[in-house]
Formats: sequence, C-alpha cells, structure tokens
Amino acid sequence: MDRIIQQTDYDALSCKLAAIAKGYLPAPQFSDPNEIESYKLIHSAYFNTLKTHSRRIYGKINKSISSSFPVMNIGTYLRTVALDSQIETFLQKNDKVQIINLGCGSDLRMFQLLNKYDNLTKYLDLDFKDSIYFKNDILWNTELFRDTLHLERSNETDGELAHSDRYKLISCDLKDTTNTMTILQSLTDSQIPTLVITECLLCYMPQLESQTLINSIISFYRVGEWLSYDPIGGDQPNDRFGLIMQTNLRESRNLEMPTLMTFNSKESYASRWNIISNDIKTNIDIKDMWEIFNSDIEPTEKQRLKKLQFLDEFEELKVMQTHYVLLNAQWEHAL
Amino acid sequence: MSLDIDAVIDLLKQGKHVKEETVYTLCLRSQELLMSEANVTHVDTPVTICGDIHGQLHDLLTLFEKSGGVEKTRYVFLGDFVDRGFYSLESFLLLLCYKLRYPDRITLIRGNHETRQITKVYGFYDEIMRKYGNCNVWRYCCEVFDYLSLGAIINNSIFCVHGGLSPEINTLDEIRAIDRKQEVPHEGAMCDLLWSDPEEVDTWSLSPRGAGFLFGKSEVDKFLSTNNVELIARAHQLVMEGYKEMFDGGLVTVWSAPNYCYRCGNVAAVLRIEDDLQRNYTIFEAVQPQDGGGNAIIPTKKPQMDYFL
Repeated sequence: MDRIIQQTDYDALSCKLAAIAKGYLPAPQFSDPNEIESYKLIHSAYFNTLKTHSRRIYGKINKSISSSFPVMNIGTYLRTVALDSQIETFLQKNDKVQIINLGCGSDLRMFQLLNKYDNLTKYLDLDFKDSIYFKNDILWNTELFRDTLHLERSNETDGELAHSDRYKLISCDLKDTTNTMTILQSLTDSQIPTLVITECLLCYMPQLESQTLINSIISFYRVGEWLSYDPIGGDQPNDRFGLIMQTNLRESRNLEMPTLMTFNSKESYASRWNIISNDIKTNIDIKDMWEIFNSDIEPTEKQRLKKLQFLDEFEELKVMQTHYVLLNAQWEHAL
Repeated sequence: MSLDIDAVIDLLKQGKHVKEETVYTLCLRSQELLMSEANVTHVDTPVTICGDIHGQLHDLLTLFEKSGGVEKTRYVFLGDFVDRGFYSLESFLLLLCYKLRYPDRITLIRGNHETRQITKVYGFYDEIMRKYGNCNVWRYCCEVFDYLSLGAIINNSIFCVHGGLSPEINTLDEIRAIDRKQEVPHEGAMCDLLWSDPEEVDTWSLSPRGAGFLFGKSEVDKFLSTNNVELIARAHQLVMEGYKEMFDGGLVTVWSAPNYCYRCGNVAAVLRIEDDLQRNYTIFEAVQPQDGGGNAIIPTKKPQMDYFL
C-alpha cells in the first residue's frame, strides 16, 4: 500500500512538468520576473538527472507529459499557484519561520523559497524512505542542486542524506506520529512560526492517523499555519464524483483514499483543524479550487491560460475543481 | 474494394479491430455520401437528437438500445463523436456504418472535436497510434470530418448545431453559404457554430474556452424570429442532468455521454421530437460494456483516469 501511495509522486511530478512544458507554469501573476527562468531550469535539471537514475520512471513520466489534457494542466496550475501564493504570504508576514513539507515527494519548492527568503531558517522535506532516497539521489547528483542548496554529505556510504544548515530530507512514515514528532522536535523550534504543507497527503492516510498528526503538530508549535490541498468526495445528493473516483483509483491502481467520503465537503474537511481548547486559538479558511479559480486568478492571467490550449469543456473543469480544496488553518497558543 | 457493412458493424459493436483498408474504404464511401449533403440538412420528424458521444462506445450502444435503434428510429447526432473516451474510432466508424447502411435515418453534424488540431490534443490521434502504430486511419477520419454538415433543420422548426450562434450569422442561408469542406478555422462563422455557448449575458461576449462566443437570450430570440424556428438544439457542454433548457425553452443543450471521461458522474440524455414537435427526453446512465455472452468487454490497454494525486 505504501508503495502505491509513494508512486502518486510520479503523477504529481508528471502533471507539474506537463504544466511547465505547455507554458502554464511558472505563472507571471504569481512569479518574480527573474525567477521564471530558474523555475524552468530547476525542473528540467531534476527531470534530466531522473533520467539517468531510472529510465523506467523517466519513460513513464515522459509519456504522460506528452498526452496531458488541458483540464489537467489548468488544475495543476491552480493547485501550484494557490499554494505558492499562500506560502509566500506566510513568509512575508513573519520574521523567522520554518517550513515542514509533509509527503513532499519530488516537490521542488524549497529552491526558490530558500533562495528568496533569508528569514526561512529551516525547510524540512518528509516522505517515505523510497521517495526521500530517490529525491536525495537526484539532488546530490545534480551540480546545480548541490550548489544552490549548499548540500553536504560527509559520509555517502552509510546512507546519510544530503543536507544543509537550512534544508533537510527526512525519511519517515507519517502514519507513525510518535516517530514523526520525535524527528520534528529534534530538528525544529517549537517557538518559531511554522508552516506545514500537506499537498495530497492526508487523503491517503487513515482517519485516526491523520487526526493524530494534525493534533500533535498543532500542540507542539506555538504559532503556525497549515496549508492542505486534497480532494473531497462531494456531499450533494446526486454527486457521484467521489464514489467514482474511489472506484477508478482502486480498479486502475489499487489506490485507496480512506477519508474521501468522510471529509466530503469543505466544512467536514476543515473540521479536523478545529481544535476545541481554551489554550489554542484557530482561524480556518477553506476554498474549493473552483472558487480560487474564479476569485484569485486575474482576468489577464485567465486570458493567458486560454491562449495556451483550447479548453474543450468548462463544466468538466468545474466538476473536477469543486472536488479539490485548499485549506488554510492558522493557530496560536495562549502565552 | 467491396465492403460488408453489416460485418463491420458487428466487429465495431464488440470493440474489435477493423483493418486499415476497411477503414479507408469506409471513409471514402462516407465522404462521397456526405459530399452531397447541404451545410444545413433537412430532417423530418419523428427524430431523436443526440449530444456529445466522445468515444464512449458502450454508452453509444446503450443510447441506441434505449431510444429504439437505427432500424426503427431517425437520429440527428450533434457532433463530438471522438476524443476523451477510449473508443473514439469505433464510435465514429459505427456512426459512419449506420449512415451508409441507413442514409436517411442518420444525420451527422460536425462538432468542435472533429478537427485535426483538437484530436491531436484530446486523444483520438493517440488512440489511432496506439491501435494501428501509424496515423493513416486518423488521416482518413479527418478527411471525413471535413465533409460533415454544420447543422440540421427539423421540420423547418428546430435548428440543430453543435455549439451555438455566431455574430456573423443572422440567417440559415448564411450558414448554407459557408464553404464547409475544410479544417475548422480558429475564428469566423464556421468556428463559432462549433464552439459557442449560451450564457446569461446581455450581448455577444468572449468565451472562456478560447474560441467561439457566449450568446444570451436576446441573440437566441432574434435568431428564432428571423429564421422562423422555435428551438435551437445544441450539445457541446456537459450537463450533469443530461439536458438543460434555457431562454424560456428557446434553446436546449443535450448531452449524451454518461459519466463523462469515466469520472464526472453525470447522467446522459437524448431528445425525441414528435410529429407535433413535442419534446420527450430519455435519460440514461453509464453501463459496463458487455460482449454477446454477457461478459464485460475490458479495454486491452486501459489508460488511467486522470486525477490530481
């Protein structure tokens, strides 16, 4: 099961590379003009090293890049820019901060964030062992990455992971909250404002484990913000999207989303961060991606997207994007 | 080359491979037949209007089953036969076979997907490469696309089109004057007919799709009165309930691909127009495709359904 979940990383990576290849990303509305080239460079460098690392995965990703549908490219674009802009807002409004990317997979956000924000003291990438060692090999074997991230590795043979003062790769089963918290406690500071990212992580976890993870992290860090992107099954009487999604994923790849129909609406999804406590104040905001498309994407940007590829079916985009959400939960402990 | 259409129909219904030469002959015959049709074909009632199919062969078979079948019923298909689904070729060829076998029972209108450019992006081209290892069959089919009608008129009262209206078109005669035998242009009347959408707008507006226009009630009312018709029947947009009437019943969207792309969860509909122009909708759902023995036809290489993971 873990392996099947781990493989969804290649889907996410394919989608992102396809969105870059077709010009959806990076997005002018959300990017510094001088970051645009480096964004593309970083992703193509990663993909090139991946090729030498595994021809099989390279071939698989290459194939899905070439046949990606516009409705997927727009969805990937939306997910990426929506998360990016909230991450940057967090970085800009705080002094010293740390970021914890849970279930990071091949996400490469750390490059630009570490480069751009000196106040970002720690950036932690956590995932399954296979994912982390895969990512480690690619980062370490690419000169650009070693240099940009100032990676070190004193002893390669005993499986030590590449790291720097500010960046760490951590192999960890996130279902094991005790172990996860031990690692986080040893590497991060509970008093520094902390951003937690879960981009398609919680949907694969059993309900109890995901709730324990949320509770533990919120109780450990004094001030924090949680950004979570996931699918929701839908709660309308005639809405069959979630059930069909579960069946499709089960039949095509044996992938389970245990809480898709439990947290099937924005409200129920967000309820997990609603900690009832006199000592912790929380402030939760959640939108579905269709709302974000309509409210956060400027007309000029929509105009640009339209020119990239003909979108054949708007309603389909709506159906899909109303079943994905981005949550922003902020918390603060009473002093 | 001789062509046993009934034998090809049998193959297609089972989702089986059809030889390249057979497709070639089929496409050539279809072109000859379609060439003689007008841009706006005349159709008599009773007739059943069908929306987008998108390569969902088993759902197309269900559609025929639920609506009487081509032996007994007259059909207008509003286009978008190909792309997205796993059986674009079989769906399109089945319709062509029926057209050749029962020419006055089937009218095929061109959709915005029946073009070279769109099929290269949305799956039909890839499907042909997967099934034949070369793109010849795709080319033969694209040649046929260029000859499909742009619209139909039922009993001089109901105008059928894939997308909608165009600011460049006031009368049916203006549609009749278009030189349709070409790849669909990126703009202009022919493009708009295949790409436009109805919307609650006051006047012609830009379409979020990047081609065609949005048009509102006033444009529809004007078109209906100018041309003395009472209904515009079109497809082109996914409707979760299968069909949707707008503008006091002056326009209807019919959608005939249930559980679109195997993931949207919608039902599908066809619209039967009686001799007195009464409208009767039939709703149907997606079913597993089955062979003659009641066993599910499983796609040999089932592409994965796309989700954000």
